[in-house]
Amino acid sequence: MSYFSRRRRLSAVALTSALAFGLAACGGDDSDGGGGGGGGGDSDDPIRIGTSLPLTGEFSQPGQAAEQGYQIWKNMVNENGGLLGRDVELVVKDDASNQNTIVADYNALIGQDKVDLLLGTFSSLLNLPASAVAEKAKMVYVEPAGGSPEMFSRGFKFLFFSQQATADRQGLVFADWVANLPEDERPKTAAYPTLDDPFAAPVVEGAREALEAAGVETVYEETYAIDTKNFDTIVSAIKNADPDLVFHGAQFEDGIGMTRAMLKAGLKPEMFFQTNAPSFGDQFSEGVGEENTEGVFFAVSHHPDAETPGNAEFVQAYEEEYGGMPPEDAADAYAAGQVLQAAVEAVGSIEDQQALADWLRENEVETILGPLSWDENGAPTGEFLIGQWQGGEAQIVLPEDAATAEIKRDWTPGGAG
Amino acid sequence: MTELLQTLVLGLLLGGVYALAASGLTLIFGVMRVINIAHGAFLIVGAFVTYWLWDSFGIDPLLAIVFTTPIVFAIGWLTYKVVVSPVRTAPMASTVLLTFGLALVLEGAMGEIWGNNSTAVRPSYTDESFTIGGLFLPKAQVYGGLIAVVVLTLLWVLLTKTWLGRAIRAAATNPASAELVGIKVAAVAALVFGIGIAAAGAGGAITAVLYPFVPGSHYAWIARLLAIVVLGGLGSLNGAVLGALLFGLAETMTSAYVSPAWATAVPYAIVFAVLLLRPQGILGMRLREDAVPA
Repeated sequence: MSYFSRRRRLSAVALTSALAFGLAACGGDDSDGGGGGGGGGDSDDPIRIGTSLPLTGEFSQPGQAAEQGYQIWKNMVNENGGLLGRDVELVVKDDASNQNTIVADYNALIGQDKVDLLLGTFSSLLNLPASAVAEKAKMVYVEPAGGSPEMFSRGFKFLFFSQQATADRQGLVFADWVANLPEDERPKTAAYPTLDDPFAAPVVEGAREALEAAGVETVYEETYAIDTKNFDTIVSAIKNADPDLVFHGAQFEDGIGMTRAMLKAGLKPEMFFQTNAPSFGDQFSEGVGEENTEGVFFAVSHHPDAETPGNAEFVQAYEEEYGGMPPEDAADAYAAGQVLQAAVEAVGSIEDQQALADWLRENEVETILGPLSWDENGAPTGEFLIGQWQGGEAQIVLPEDAATAEIKRDWTPGGAG
Repeated sequence: MTELLQTLVLGLLLGGVYALAASGLTLIFGVMRVINIAHGAFLIVGAFVTYWLWDSFGIDPLLAIVFTTPIVFAIGWLTYKVVVSPVRTAPMASTVLLTFGLALVLEGAMGEIWGNNSTAVRPSYTDESFTIGGLFLPKAQVYGGLIAVVVLTLLWVLLTKTWLGRAIRAAATNPASAELVGIKVAAVAALVFGIGIAAAGAGGAITAVLYPFVPGSHYAWIARLLAIVVLGGLGSLNGAVLGALLFGLAETMTSAYVSPAWATAVPYAIVFAVLLLRPQGILGMRLREDAVPA
């Protein structure tokens, strides 16, 4: 008997505690919502959108730019009456550029913060694990960066990449242009130093195949690790190979480091293409010296002068909020917001994530990057823009109908040539 | 032959900077048995202070070492007084945790003050090189290497030729006996911490000119520096210099003759190999407590 009653007493204590905590939690959730429902209902509460960005650590550069892009998107949505008539609230965590932290962050966003919608993070390295968390929770995951082909070979159904093309296609527009140069202007040899990174490597791989097919001989091809600081030895080896074209697969810091090492070693190939770093505007020209930027090629998704719908407003809002021209990563993040917004407004609800994903797969979305559409796996189906530094400014040179300046062939650092 | 010489020279120049950065770490361990995980963060503080002096006052970043070093020394000394001294005699695990926390705090503070953007210091000679018989010697690296040699020599003179140096070595060898002959071990420890941090700051000033950096760059540095001092022998200044040169050479030789993909991994493989054959490091001394488990 005593056993029985003790057990009942224990269960009572347990039940009371559970109720107490449960009610306390409810009280917090529904203080202005009018009872029941339990979060995320159709009330006037803000729609909460969660993301975790590399605000510190190795990718802090693009991470902070992405945060600015998201904030501007949020501000503009709220100024225009919100999303489905509700204000948008961003929940931003810092993953410190760490693959483990980002998994914990997205789990917390979904499990503890119970956000209504997700937005992606920066770089393929971090989006690979983060998108898997979202996929498991069956939540739409629009990522502003993370174009590695690996991302889209996993058969994910909730992942969408809000740029024009995947990484392996990033260098193709440039490679095609090189292949179609007159015989005497076409580079005969090329070197391909590459960062060991799921984004940079496929860009180089794609371009190298296309250039080799066009008869450009590969004279150097090496991958270096992410913690490489010293590029002098790599550059020394490239110099021995004496290429006409250097096609460098880089993120930001290593792009600056390699360019500086090339200048120090007197390695000045006729043509120079670099991924990512040159798309960082002033950060790039300050890092390598403005006089050394003349003629550097890069692939890019956005240009401040592009005549895409809403672009001028975005650029103006960015300038007012943060000063200066928006970096590409801020624009990409803004576009990711636009993509999510388009899906939510078309479906008319945030409850059915499957419906949001289905809508995105079947429709085209107008963004400041131009129209975006996706295949079965969420990979975009467009082509990148090719940029080039001219007179201390980044211009668009390819394709011709989007060009803001005439394309030039040569890299002429230091004005010395 | 030219390629080999080029690789060797670049390796030695790199090693010189590593040596300067690692000297403080080994010194602090030698005297206090504190493994300063925040050492890389102090190096980046040195880099940012250099950037600030260069950007705001136009002082040449390498000449600015005259200012950077005392500033970073003061930061180090103050940090010791406030944070480290209470746990100086605590078990090593506590100090590792404490200095790791310190590194995170410094990273956050640098982010607040200077921002998490990539920062580069570019004096006029950044992109220039000396060319000697087909070899290129980047000017910034050469100046940096020379400064490293000067600072390390000063450090060596301080340790071996002065009374302060004797006091430091006495405190390192046997703190109790040092107290008996009138050395204030606590005060010596504070000075050594300051000097060690100042050496990291000088290293930071040089690296600021060589590579772009963000507050988070300290992780890559502390990994290298720990490997270097373990390789050379914890607590031995000569060992740190030797370890640093070996490490720099291993990095450039691997990059040139194996593959750049292995360049940052092979030096650690060498550290493993050395530890298997000679656990105390190349120039480290085997202590009684290492041989006889307590």
